[in-house]
Amino acid sequence: METYSYVNIFETKGLEYILLICFMVMMVLLFRYMRAGMRDKS
Amino acid sequence: MNRRNFFRLSGMASIALMAKTAEASHGPRPGAPEFWGVLVDTTRCIGCRSCEVACGEENGMFVPDVENDGALETLRTTDETQWTVVNHFETSKGDVFVKRQCMHCWQPACTAACLTKAMEKTELGPVIWHENRCMGCRFCMVSCPFDVPKFEYDSWNPKIQKCIMCWHRTSVGDKPACVESCPTDALIFGHKRDLMEIARMRIYNHPEKYVHKIYGEHEVGGTGWLYLSAVPFEEIGFRMDLGTTPYPEYTKDFLYGVPLVLLGFPALLAGMNLMTRPENDEESGVHGE
Amino acid sequence: MARVADERQSLFSFFKDQLRPRGKLITPFNVISIPVIIAGVIILFFRFTQGLGATTNLSQQNPWGIWIGFDVVTGVAFAGGAYVLTFAVYVMRMDKFHPIIRATVLNGFLAYVFYAGALVFDLGRPWHVINPVIGNAFGYNSVLFLVAWHFMLYMTAEFVEFSPVITEWLGLKKARRVANSLTLAAVILGISLSTLHQSGLGALFLMAKPKIHPLWYSEFIPIFFFVSSIFAGISMVIFESTISHRVFKMQMGPGSHERLNEIIIGLARGATIAMFVYYFFKALIFIHDDQWALIKGFWGAWYLTEVLGFVLVPMVLFAYGSRHKAVGIIKIAAVLTLIGVLLNRLNISVIAFNWNVADKYIPHWMEIVVTLTVVFSEIWIFRWIVNRMPVMREPGALGSPNRKRELQSLN
Repeated sequence: METYSYVNIFETKGLEYILLICFMVMMVLLFRYMRAGMRDKS
Repeated sequence: MNRRNFFRLSGMASIALMAKTAEASHGPRPGAPEFWGVLVDTTRCIGCRSCEVACGEENGMFVPDVENDGALETLRTTDETQWTVVNHFETSKGDVFVKRQCMHCWQPACTAACLTKAMEKTELGPVIWHENRCMGCRFCMVSCPFDVPKFEYDSWNPKIQKCIMCWHRTSVGDKPACVESCPTDALIFGHKRDLMEIARMRIYNHPEKYVHKIYGEHEVGGTGWLYLSAVPFEEIGFRMDLGTTPYPEYTKDFLYGVPLVLLGFPALLAGMNLMTRPENDEESGVHGE
Repeated sequence: MARVADERQSLFSFFKDQLRPRGKLITPFNVISIPVIIAGVIILFFRFTQGLGATTNLSQQNPWGIWIGFDVVTGVAFAGGAYVLTFAVYVMRMDKFHPIIRATVLNGFLAYVFYAGALVFDLGRPWHVINPVIGNAFGYNSVLFLVAWHFMLYMTAEFVEFSPVITEWLGLKKARRVANSLTLAAVILGISLSTLHQSGLGALFLMAKPKIHPLWYSEFIPIFFFVSSIFAGISMVIFESTISHRVFKMQMGPGSHERLNEIIIGLARGATIAMFVYYFFKALIFIHDDQWALIKGFWGAWYLTEVLGFVLVPMVLFAYGSRHKAVGIIKIAAVLTLIGVLLNRLNISVIAFNWNVADKYIPHWMEIVVTLTVVFSEIWIFRWIVNRMPVMREPGALGSPNRKRELQSLN
């Protein structure tokens, strides 16, 4: 607390955005995976 | 527009602006009294525990047998029978005695937690408890960063026990009993503004005697009780990881969101119901018939 | 005069008849639950005469135990199925889920009455429980104030949602029409309230920041609680409807088995998505708070057990089960999910709460007995109602997204 030096509170943002991109890719894959199951029925 | 009119207008605008900002901020009520507090100089405390005795007698609580109970041998916390305790620490600078009790936070977590307003931050600073309102949910105990409120687990009609800074005395401007009983002036009662000046002056005049920190100046948004120490506060039982954010702020955003959700959701849901409704459905919406 | 007396007489005998026990008295469930309930009532007597200390291991350091951590915090999450399904059926008109809506709403209602009601056992001064309601002490600055109000309002909404069934049971046609007309409003209010108090239960722990292990504390606890209540509720619906289907088999018509499987597969898809989002939320917070260093040691392993073993694994099982229409796997996933949510709620409220304090709380056996008493009593009442009211018997709706069918089934 008694330090007087710079702290970057956004250091992890880059990693967070990478995770976000992973999420979107995985989301599409998951949807395709589950949709495939529904097509089997008809 | 001539010069005079321009000034008049801009003056009016700035007054309006000032009024607006004053209204929007949650500042103190004008003319509100300043909070009382106590400065504890642990370098002056000799561990006589007169404060424990005075507190017990003043508030009708347990009065310890200071001569014989050997209580300084162990590390104690306040409990449902004692609102204040003195602990003994062996440190790099020798024996240190520390009196602990409720810190009387500027913005207490316990009052923000209380759903019956049984915990009250009085206008003069002391945080007090109202027996006739409390339902005993112990949310104040969960929320307090210092673990101060204590509960009578062995009673069918339990009370929350905590230091109320001798509210019956401080409410009329008298010192709390512990401060009055202190033989070495380790405790000073006053307004925080004055106490901070005393504390800073002591550190300034004896820079080698004190660590250059006043515990309670910023902790959890500032507390009513302030501490001076010769050794780092970690060594005498203080948590240094509590942060400087007032604890009620942690729930502020959530509580802000509540009316937003209750405003928006019902309308959105009703809208979705209408959107999904087939054109010649015999049902007639919300009212059924 | 005579007719009125006659009607009164018949109403009286109707209730007398309905109160009589149905079915066998000696069943495994009865043999276990009756002694537990009796013991629980005795323990509660001592709790109210001698204080909480006599029957619980609560302490000054650990003011909340499993009566809050399990009964209230976990029980309410498990009851989330009611708002999820009423949203699906009444707002989104997913007709597929009609057949289980009555049982789900009844379960939600009873869960709130019993689990949230169990809060009263934990209050030190329960006679003041009315204070935040009658307005002599509105502590609206408190998250608990919000949660308490929402519990009450939500119970009312759930009761209104279920009331058409009661009117059918009593054969009150006019009252049924009124009850029906209120359903949609109750549903909409109920969903809004659920959003807030599911997350509100998490918000209770926001001020306990220095006490909860950093892997579990986050300023987003309320959002975690809300999202996890979706899949907790869905899993509970799968779990409960599977058991109900066995126990009350004779009440259900032909084809109910296939229909239930179809429903369970649909629910599994919903749970998959909710858990997928939850899992990535967890990962996002983990990265944002830079918690890599915390993952070592016992607490790190325990955290990974919860998040990988009981969120990721059941999510994969749900996805697999719904794609391959493997209902058995979905049921396993539902049980794992329930364990995971239980772990999460207990971690925040009990296990990782005061993780760095020597004085650890371990529930007293009497606390566990009282908790079981609450659970068993709820099941007793549930069974009593299902055996008497048209909950499972016909795949009817409560109110009426589809009025025509409703009326046909009535006449």
